[in-house]
Order: sequence, then structure tokens, then C-alpha cells
Amino acid sequence: MTDDSTPEDAERLIVESDALHARVRAFATGSSGETFEALALRIARFQRRYAPGFARLVAVHRSALGSADDIPAVPAEVFRIARVAVHPAELDVASFETSGTTAVRAGVHAFRTLETYRALALALAEKALFGSVRGPCTVVALAPPPGALPRSSLGFMLRLFMDHFDARPPVFERGFDGPERFLCGPSGIDVARLFDVARLARERGEPLCVLATSFALVALLDALGGAPVPAPPATLVMQTGGFKGRAREVDAAELRAAVARTFGIGPESVVGEYGMTELTSQLYEDTGATRPTRAERFRFGVYCAPPWLRVVPVNPATLEPCRDGEVGIAKFIDLGNVDSAVAVITQDLVVRRGDGIELLGRRSGAPPRGCSLAVEGLLAGHA
Amino acid sequence: MPEPLSNKLARLGALLEGARRIANRTTRFGAVARARLVASTRLSAEGVELALDAHLETDPGIEELELLCASVKDAPRAHVLLSANVFTGAHRALALALASSERVCVRPSRRDPEFVALLAEQCPGLFSIVARVEPEAGESVWAYGTDATLAELHASLPASVALHAYGGGLGLAVVDRSAAASDAELARAAERLAYDVVVFDQRGCLSPRAVLWVGDAGGARELAAALAEALESKQAEVPLGRLDDDELADVAVYRDAAAYAGELLVAGRGFVGVGVEPDRLVVPPIGRNLHVVPVRSLSETLDSVRDLVTALGVEVSPSLRAEFVALVPRARVTHLGAMQKPPFDGPVDRRARRY
Repeated sequence: MTDDSTPEDAERLIVESDALHARVRAFATGSSGETFEALALRIARFQRRYAPGFARLVAVHRSALGSADDIPAVPAEVFRIARVAVHPAELDVASFETSGTTAVRAGVHAFRTLETYRALALALAEKALFGSVRGPCTVVALAPPPGALPRSSLGFMLRLFMDHFDARPPVFERGFDGPERFLCGPSGIDVARLFDVARLARERGEPLCVLATSFALVALLDALGGAPVPAPPATLVMQTGGFKGRAREVDAAELRAAVARTFGIGPESVVGEYGMTELTSQLYEDTGATRPTRAERFRFGVYCAPPWLRVVPVNPATLEPCRDGEVGIAKFIDLGNVDSAVAVITQDLVVRRGDGIELLGRRSGAPPRGCSLAVEGLLAGHA
Repeated sequence: MPEPLSNKLARLGALLEGARRIANRTTRFGAVARARLVASTRLSAEGVELALDAHLETDPGIEELELLCASVKDAPRAHVLLSANVFTGAHRALALALASSERVCVRPSRRDPEFVALLAEQCPGLFSIVARVEPEAGESVWAYGTDATLAELHASLPASVALHAYGGGLGLAVVDRSAAASDAELARAAERLAYDVVVFDQRGCLSPRAVLWVGDAGGARELAAALAEALESKQAEVPLGRLDDDELADVAVYRDAAAYAGELLVAGRGFVGVGVEPDRLVVPPIGRNLHVVPVRSLSETLDSVRDLVTALGVEVSPSLRAEFVALVPRARVTHLGAMQKPPFDGPVDRRARRY
């Protein structure tokens, strides 16, 4: 929308946007006859019409928006320096923020509706994360409580999973006094409460699902000092996020093994999740949930996109798709991003592995050759 | 007892003589030097020529040399650790070390060792090229590199070694309506600024990367258009050198981010972006790229980069100039077109971190 848009324009935008959201949700449930390609192009053309920034990007790339591959991707950095939305700010129902620093301001992903976010996140988690869970499940998070109006997409998603997959108010014994299941506070991980929740799940005879960031898991391991958590047999751990800016980094395989040991579960029950504020959709490690023998089929470190998300490794300089086996940066075409940017490009390095991708860390930007300042951070716009 | 100034000036004289021989395009050695520098610096042949012709200090005045000598302390031995710097930077780094000691050891950049090698060939015995910097107590080190490299170096040095550390820096240009009242003035300011961009392909800490425009939004767009035109024309005179894949990737990100967030103009082989939101400083990657930032509040725009600004090229009213200078007091301030020619009076970067 532009400053000179009329109320009729705004009304038309909402009608078109609502229709696209409905199409995306129908696509996710498999009840739509539409192809990914056709829907991606519809959304891209909608964004070209209502987001002047995207229209300029399309012009710069001289794209006719003739195929999904032709959709130019908005760099994730743009979320820090400009509003990436087709609608005006007064229609926002949520604004999720990326992590910022004192020097570089946080990025913001604005949402006009969270209905599609909810539908897509739950549809995927049901298969890729909770696919092996039969019956009820006790869900907790090793993360601080997100508050009534979450500013982080992760906080929102964790709350969503708790409400959906374990809607019961927890029945705590031994001094539990509230419904809160976010087991991380100002003084760190609440290990005592985690133990109580683990025992509660055992008593209930159901699996425990622990949703956690990688650094929260490291903090837990540090706090436990090798002691096991008395978790029920089918416990599941969802691990998300890296270690950027954190004091201690742990090798992914080591962390997985240590977490599995601590909860008394197999390494295939520690499932990686990849999400970013700039996207609506997530990816999960290939758990082989739909296959008969999960443990044998688990592909550690390989993340699979749901049907409504496409990940294309592209050459960082030319932005052309990479050949199979070639490392590139991740270009996401996310049908969930109806009102922001259907195609987003990050500096995360990925390589295609069959029908999934492997994450290889972050492209650091050109090392300075000369005394001019390296571009990383600065391009992102200063606070 | 302090070393006599005449001794220091003699060493500097020998170094300057070597630099003059490298810069002399009429000799066979001058031609060989150019070929070697094109291969190692990634600048175009015209870029190397421009640097040697106009930006290698070969004939500084005696006042400048005395100031340079006065800017350093005597040391029993001086060490120089060079990064892949703007290649002529090695000349000044050596001059500072030679002004402080008659014994100078240099560890050139592994990626760009050629200019130091050329100077060594022309100035036999003046300094030694070494594989490692290994200072002893009481000696001095002049080090150039990333903040991480410098911190690592600092941690490895004996306590009594004087470390003069130079990290990455940033040049900014500032233009206001008073300097661009007419189309002709605007074009002249753009032409001068484009020159500052072209020299060393923005690889230097004095190179302008963003232009702060103090004025109306329409003026920012006019300035951007003039800059794009000037850069396009400079590309024909002094082509952009080689950018590696990582640098090209950074340019792709900037191009697309600037197009989405504001406006983007093609400027030869680079881009000029125009910000829409005032005071939002965006720093584009090296090459031939400039971002025009509309400024409403000077302090807000400069707030988070104040310590990074090495050079300020100004084309503004005197009162505004004073305001800017007060905000970045350690930056070298010049008019546009002269950002890359600081006097040979001491370190280029006045923000040296001394340990």
C-alpha cells in the first residue's frame, strides 16, 4: 500500500489477501486443486500490486513472474530496514521481531492475520514432530514465557503447540502453583520443575515433549552435571536455533547425544526445527514419521520442507539455483508469507540432500580486503 | 636519548625515493610494478595507475614529515603487521615504523604482499620482511587488521610492547542544499564524491560508503541521480577491479535490499541506493556502491557508527560542518574529492587503539 491509497484500495487488499490465505490453508490440507507454482505466483503478483518495494525488486530483476523460480527473493536484511508488508501498520495483529543488537536494529515481520500461521505450524508439527505420539502428551518448553503479546515467532509457536497438543491445565503435585509450562526464568532453567513435569508425565503414562532452544539445552546439561531427567520412555525433544552470540557452542552431534542420554531416549527422538522470524513456515529434521521404522530412517541434520514451503539453494552472487550437491544460500518460497514476502533469501548456507536440505551455518560476508569495514551487520541498518 | 630528527628524515627519504621509483611509469621497473600490483590488488590497471599517480605519497613537504615523526615514539625496534590493505597503506605504515626506529620488521599481508615486496626491492636494507611478528619487551608494533585479529595479537604480546592497532573504518560523505543549490553545483559535488569512491574501489577506511543528505527528500533523489551518472562516467575512465564471489554476493544483497527499502539506481558496475526513512544509515558493500541517507537528526544518524568513522567528506554549510565534526572528532575531515588524500602527517586513521 502507498500513502495515496484509497479506502477502497485497502478494502480490496483485504479481500484479496483473505482469499489467498484461504487458498494457502486449503493447499496445506490437500483440499485444493492448485499447484504450488500457481499459488506462489498468485501471491507474488498480489505482493507486486500492493507492496511498492517488491514491485521495485521485480523491476530490478526484470522478472515477468512467469514461474516460481522467477520470483525475486527479498533479502532477510530488509526486514530490519523497511516494513515488509502489503498492508498498513494499523492492520497488524502481531509483529514478530528478530534478535537485534545495540548497533543493529531488530527486524520485524508484521502479520495481518495469524490464522494461516497457526494452521500451517500445527499441520506440519502434527506430522513432523508429534507424528510418533499416540494419545495425549505433556508439553513444556525450555524458554521464557512469551507474554500475552509475543514479540518472538518462536514464543508464539511454543505457546501454540502447548495449547494445541496439551490443552489441559497441568495437574502439578509437589508445590506446582500455576499453569505455566515455560521452564526458563531469570535464574535459568527450572530444573526442579522439569523433573516434576517428567514424573507427572510418567504417572500419566504419556510421553513428555520438551520444546527447547539449543542454548537452553546446553544450559540444562550444564545445570544437571550429568544427572538424568526421569522422563517417560517416549519422550520427545524439539531443538531449535543455533548459538549465535552465546558463550558456549556445542557440536550438534555431541549435543544430540548428550540430550538423548539425559532424557533416556534414542537420538532420533531429538528433532531439530528450523524457523526464522521472516518466514511463516518451518522445517523439521527428517524424522521419517510416515515410515514404518522411524529410528532406522531418521536422517540426522537433513531438514524437510512441507509442501507449502520450497527451499532452493542459490549461488550467493548470481542468485541462480545451485546444481545438486552444490552449497548455496537458502532462498525460501513460503506460501504462508501472503502479506509480507513470498520469497525470502537468507545468508544461511544449505546443500540439497535428496528431498531435504542440510544446514551448513551462515555465510559470513566477504572478509575485508582492505581496511574498509566489513559489510556484515552494517547493511542491516543501524538502530 | 631521542634519536635525531635528521636520522629519521633520512630513512623516510629513502622510503619516499623507493615509492617514487615504483610510481614512475616511464621506467621498465614502473611497468613491471604495475603488472604485479594489478595481479595482487584486484584493482583494474587504471585503478592501480590512479593510485600510484595521485594517492601514493611520494613528495610530502617537510612539515608533514616532521609531524609524522612527531606522531610516533622512538622504539628500539618497530614491527609492522599488515592486512590486505589498500596497497599504498603499506607505505605510510612503514613510514611510521621507520620514524620510530631504525630497525623495522614487516610482515606483509599474505593475500596482498606485492607492494611491500616492491618497496623492499627499491629500498634494500631499510626494513626486513619477516614471516612472523615477534616483538620483544619495549618494542613497538603497528598492526592493521580486523578487530578479532588485533585482539588476538594483543593477547599474545609481552606486556611492555606498545601496540598501535588499526581496525576497519568507514568513510562518510555529507552534502546539504547549500552545496548543491544549482544543478551544476550538485553535479560537481557528485563528480567529486564519485572520485572518492572510485579510488581503491572503496577498499580503504577513508572510502565513502554512504552519503548523508541534509535536505528534502527530492534533493536526496537528485543527488542519487547525479551520483549514478558520475559513477557511470567514472567506470569508463577507471573500471572497477575484480570483486570475488563473496564481495559479489554482498553487492547482490545490497542491490535487492536497497531496491525494496527505497530506490535503486544503476551506477556503472555499482549501485546508488536512496533511503526513504530518515536517519537510517545503511552501509553498502565495497566496489562502487553508495547509499544516500536522508538526515533529519545528525546525532541519531551517526549514533551507532560514531566510533567507526575514519573520514568525513563534507560539502555543507560551515555551521553544519562544525556540527558533524563535533560528532566524529577523530575523523579526518576534507572536502569531497580529497577524502583519499590525507596529509602524510601521521596515521591515516586517527582512531588507533593503543594498548
